[in-house]
Amino acid sequence: MKVIIINKEAWAGGLERLYDSFRLFGPVKQDEFHIFKELSKGELPDMNLLNTRLSAKSMVYPQSEKMFEFTLDENRDDHHMLKEIHKDYSPRAVIGIRPCDAKAFLLVKANFDSPEYKDPYWIKSYESTTLVGYACNNPSSTCFCTTAGCGPFHEQGLDLLLVDAWDHYFAKVITEKGENFLAAAGWSSEADSDTACDEIETMRQAAEAKITTRISTDKLKDKNTTELFEAPFWEDVAFACINCGTCTYLCPTCWCFDIQDETFGLSGIRMRNWDSCMYPLFTLHGSGHNPRDTKRQRIRQRFMHKLKYYVDKYEDGIQCVGCGRCISHCPVNIDIRKVCTLMNGFEP
Amino acid sequence: MGIEPGRLHFSWISSAEANKFVDVVNEITAAVKALGPNENFLKTEARVA
Amino acid sequence: MLAYIDKIKEISNRLLKEGKVDMVIGFRKGTVPMMNEPCFVKTPEDVDNFVWDSNCGINLANYLTNRKEKIGIVAKGCDSRNIVTHVIENKIKRDQLVIIGVPCKGMIDRHKIEAMFETEIQDVIEADDKIIVKGQGLEKTLNKKDVLQDNCALCIHRNPVIHDELVGDPVEEQKDLDRYEDVRKIEFMSPEEKWRYFDDLLSTCIRCYACRNACPLCYCPTCFVDESRPQWVGKSQDPIDTRTFHFLRAYHCAGRCTDCGACERACPMGIKVRTFTRKLEKDCLELFDWEAGLTLEERPPLDTYRPDDPDDFIK
Repeated sequence: MKVIIINKEAWAGGLERLYDSFRLFGPVKQDEFHIFKELSKGELPDMNLLNTRLSAKSMVYPQSEKMFEFTLDENRDDHHMLKEIHKDYSPRAVIGIRPCDAKAFLLVKANFDSPEYKDPYWIKSYESTTLVGYACNNPSSTCFCTTAGCGPFHEQGLDLLLVDAWDHYFAKVITEKGENFLAAAGWSSEADSDTACDEIETMRQAAEAKITTRISTDKLKDKNTTELFEAPFWEDVAFACINCGTCTYLCPTCWCFDIQDETFGLSGIRMRNWDSCMYPLFTLHGSGHNPRDTKRQRIRQRFMHKLKYYVDKYEDGIQCVGCGRCISHCPVNIDIRKVCTLMNGFEP
Repeated sequence: MGIEPGRLHFSWISSAEANKFVDVVNEITAAVKALGPNENFLKTEARVA
Repeated sequence: MLAYIDKIKEISNRLLKEGKVDMVIGFRKGTVPMMNEPCFVKTPEDVDNFVWDSNCGINLANYLTNRKEKIGIVAKGCDSRNIVTHVIENKIKRDQLVIIGVPCKGMIDRHKIEAMFETEIQDVIEADDKIIVKGQGLEKTLNKKDVLQDNCALCIHRNPVIHDELVGDPVEEQKDLDRYEDVRKIEFMSPEEKWRYFDDLLSTCIRCYACRNACPLCYCPTCFVDESRPQWVGKSQDPIDTRTFHFLRAYHCAGRCTDCGACERACPMGIKVRTFTRKLEKDCLELFDWEAGLTLEERPPLDTYRPDDPDDFIK
């Protein structure tokens, strides 16, 4: 495994060089929290963070995204025809993405890039993106990544993993994309691989030891779906829920969207916006019937999807990476760890 | 809210006051025209990605 | 606080045992610092789940909308005012409720406290009027009054305005507060400045509707943002649509908002959404001498007409 040492004094200079070949995105502090933003030339990502308030999913899959444009002007030959919109898919890099958010892209990929369905917007965007991970030396108390198929130094989904070691970063090369990124930055001082890997391993263990909350997911797969669906605890779980979209919008693995047309005079666009299974509108039929009319049904859907349907369908663990955002920011303190415990331990 | 004073008018006009109605409408139209369009709430395109 | 908790449990236990109510709505201990979870209890055995501290900022009146059971509900000052509003607006019947009033000295602002420290807060302990904040290499004692939610710092109805039981002696109400200094600042701005100010205020909004949904006033079967025929407002992240949502939501709360702060507390992006509702609250007070939710005997100003209503705006 190739490891490059990036001296922190060479950090800004390297980023400066990267602007020539990449659009750079990184965490910046806005008000009281961090969000991912496109960095303007000379702007540095703020690497002093726990994690961003919103996940990195919008880097590939924006909350609102244009899909097509059209004209209603009947004097034009192409009226009422959807036309593809030209978009910027030039190389971009997301610097400082936490391993949980990177792993989440792989879970989301199962939906947007499957043998049956290919989502062109997501795929093009994802393929143009280099994910420069940032290992968590200090995970937060709501992190439970180690029992959600991930970890503070997890490499799956990343092209490069940066590890903060006081005066320098170790940059662990994971893919060719990562290698190219380093080359473009001009960071080339190779560390002795064994020593560096040992050092990173020690830091990994220290970080993992700081993660105190765990979930058990081992029995989810064997549960009977209908019994779990009918479980009595849903009423209690759902009571506090106000059916806002906070959990779904902050979640790195929630992928649902809604398609809308908007017209402005004679021109218009078709776009998609994140949607949330917490909203009654999500499942409202044209007939007026709503199969998920109550919040108990909606909240059950969210947890069943993440912790049961996904588990059964993809056989790749739960649809959650343990980032803990939904726990920290749920306005009414609904805690997925608690719900997972209820589901995993449920006996009818 | 960011709407200029003068863009919104309220008047009491009885159904018997046709002349007042005409005058008020003319006044209001002139006043709003003088202000020009308020583009704050006008969406000419969707500002999204 | 502990005395309050004992009393809440004792009253709930009695109400459930005597069959006076089918359920009691209150709070149970949260899983993260500075958060408690609204919950219901249906049997006397479960009343031990109830807690009370300065992290009960969610407005429980929100959980009463259109319920049919007989309900005991734990209510601080603002909750009680929203219960009044709910009764007036026929969202619940007064005789369905046993209101367990809690005199309140304010809820602490988790956004504010989190912003004070670089490190993550792992534990928050409350002792009298002090808040002890703990984290990795961090232990700091704060005065509760310095870290109250903004609305609580300005609250003049800390005691429940309506109640059937009371868990403690009424607390002293805050007096001589200048409640609208911030609103006046915005009023003095030019339309352009206001526009920029609100633009900036809402720039991080993700349209999750937590503010709307945490609000006991927002119970419309279909919210105007969810209507599709006609579609009043676009659904994207376009700033005009975001602003339209916030402006209209605020207007729908005019004369009804009790400034309970649930909206602001719920916002995952820390947006000061009360900025909008407070202006309307101030207007209702100045124009109609009205504060929402204080009495069951009077209709709110926006659904009544009086010949002496102020009409200076009519030319």
